[in-house]
Amino acid sequence: MLKDKGAALFRRSCAGAAGLVLAGGLFSASAQDRELKVGYMKNPIQDASLEMMQKWAKTQGVKLTPVPMAYSVFMEKVTSTLTSGADQFDVIWHNDDWGQLWKKWLDTTDDVKGIENADQWPLLAFWNDDKKLTVVPMAHTVGTFFYRSDIVKPEEVPKTFADLVTVSQRLQKEGKAKWGYVGGMTMNNTWFSLWWTMWSNNCDILKPLFERDNEKLKAGGFEPAVTEPCHREIVEYWWDAINTHKISPPGMTAYGRNEANAIFMAGDAAFTLVDSTHFGEFNDPKRSKIAGKIGMAPFPMGPRAQKPTSWNEIWGWAIPKGVPAERKKLAKEMLSAVMSDEAGQVEMWKKTGGPPPNVKLWPKLAAGDKDFAALKHAVFDQTPITHSAYYFAEWPAVHRAYSDMAIEALSGKREDIPKVLAAHVDKIRRAATGN
Amino acid sequence: MSLTLNERTRFMLALIAPAVLALAFFQVVPILVGANTSFRDWSLHDPQRTWVGLANYAHVLADREFLRVVLPNTFGFMTASVACSLVLGLSVALMLNRRFAGRVIVQSFVLLPLMVAPVIAAIMIRWMFNDQFGVVNAALGGLGIGPISWLTQRWTAFLVILMTDVWLWTPWFALILLAGLQSLPPEPFEAAQIDAASRWRTFRYITLPMLRPVIVVCVVIRSIDAFRTFDIVWTISGGGPARATEVFSIYAYVESFQFLNLGRGSAAAVIGAVTIVIFAMALYRILNRYVEVSR
Repeated sequence: MLKDKGAALFRRSCAGAAGLVLAGGLFSASAQDRELKVGYMKNPIQDASLEMMQKWAKTQGVKLTPVPMAYSVFMEKVTSTLTSGADQFDVIWHNDDWGQLWKKWLDTTDDVKGIENADQWPLLAFWNDDKKLTVVPMAHTVGTFFYRSDIVKPEEVPKTFADLVTVSQRLQKEGKAKWGYVGGMTMNNTWFSLWWTMWSNNCDILKPLFERDNEKLKAGGFEPAVTEPCHREIVEYWWDAINTHKISPPGMTAYGRNEANAIFMAGDAAFTLVDSTHFGEFNDPKRSKIAGKIGMAPFPMGPRAQKPTSWNEIWGWAIPKGVPAERKKLAKEMLSAVMSDEAGQVEMWKKTGGPPPNVKLWPKLAAGDKDFAALKHAVFDQTPITHSAYYFAEWPAVHRAYSDMAIEALSGKREDIPKVLAAHVDKIRRAATGN
Repeated sequence: MSLTLNERTRFMLALIAPAVLALAFFQVVPILVGANTSFRDWSLHDPQRTWVGLANYAHVLADREFLRVVLPNTFGFMTASVACSLVLGLSVALMLNRRFAGRVIVQSFVLLPLMVAPVIAAIMIRWMFNDQFGVVNAALGGLGIGPISWLTQRWTAFLVILMTDVWLWTPWFALILLAGLQSLPPEPFEAAQIDAASRWRTFRYITLPMLRPVIVVCVVIRSIDAFRTFDIVWTISGGGPARATEVFSIYAYVESFQFLNLGRGSAAAVIGAVTIVIFAMALYRILNRYVEVSR
């Protein structure tokens, strides 16, 4: 009898335990379905976008797990995750620099509600081979010409390269600024000196100029444009800025954006050009001596340009193909909520200087916010001459070959510039063709 | 012949098994996978994994930059760094081997760089040598020198990298050589003292020959390590200006992770590994023979 009772108790205990395990399993499976992991880079703009996601996640009972990664390893790490088919992330930060590299591995996003409010121009890098979109914009990353509004009046802001030299030298002479212009120049910072002036002088890296259709570039043999007069002029311009006119620091060829920003924020330079996303940092009184004294203006023009140009690209979010269907659906709902979160996007702009992805917000924002109005005039009202990168797999190698060429030319004698540019034509071509 | 292992052998095998397994999984297997990758067309973003034989090796070995810039930089850096660290480390070890007030404090102070992560040291150095805010230019300015743009020219950038590496590794040499000095028998030194030998002659004819086995081990280990230096070069100069300070590990990294060409990057890594193995074996033999002769 006692033995029977013991056996019954044992059976009931086993059944109870099995029930608990099953229920626990179901519960955890359900909890897992309601969790989204976001792979991102630690940055004020991405943090602001994540805040919008968190807001949505709370209302939906979804657990959001942000997984921060350093910029220096982000692309490599996420690329290897994507190609391995692992579902380590449900949503990942996406950038035009590697838009085309990931097109095979990302789910389409045309069906995300609110995407129709995005600017179409910066989406070029993110179309897959079926002409479907693979990104949801997070914020625009636009090159912005910043100036010290406490020492330069709006009407004095340089409109041409020559003005930039004249105004800088005047400010230096008057002791108002140690340097005229400072900007990053090393690899991955080429935009902030050489490239904005290149596009502002009606020039480009490869021929046909301003072409971004890979088939047409291939048909042209990826021919570098670096020996064209328009290109030689901008390298000579920077050589003179550093060595002859001395409006830029002699160490600028070794600067990344951190060094350049530090000099600008210390109040030592009158002008810089960097992504608008640094506007928040420049205006942070804890970090910047020039907080509240920063203006924005269109890019100064080179001698070959008729009107100012700009670049206008985006950072975005993407969903890996390997993510299970249920979580994909949830991720799209979340990104749709972010695209529709007008208050969140305005907050992001105010906190970080990241322009909202919903372009319908821009006129409203410009009407009530003088900084956004200035940015709109400086960038969004200008017509980009082309995209600020190329979108083929060998682009990083081309960028590096270009950067080596430019730094070598700027580090040598002025009369050797044409020789250095010519010597690198073949290197850039080989980099572009993978040879 | 029986293959049955006795208890003692089984016990010994059991003891080394975890280490062997760890070595196999974390060293041998990755090396084999890397070597396999080097024979394939393997881009990180679109891995086709097509067998291409020696094409990646041919590309790296035909690259003028690899042969004329990267390899000379790597060997130049390795030689200069090891030589400077050895001389300074030996000097510090000799100083610390003597009794003086506050020796323990000095010893702790000298060892401080060993506690700093190389990448942190490199970030610090990059800012110290900044041409606008750097403390080095500020100090030189006080003496009426400069300002110098350290990172814009090949040799000044190379000098900054070298000084950082020497600063980081001199304490390591000092520590090992000090241990070597303290383990030397006192009799030869006492005999030299009785013979009224000068300090220099004692050092030249007793200390140095007796310390040579330790020096050989230090030089070989550190040379291998210096050959694969990545963090401080990447952080201080990124291999620039215009590849002027690029070393072998940066070449392999850029190919693999900037250009996403894992096949080519792996081939560069294998070439580097073979080079350093041959170099280390030759160095060890030469130095070992030198030690034997000196005995």
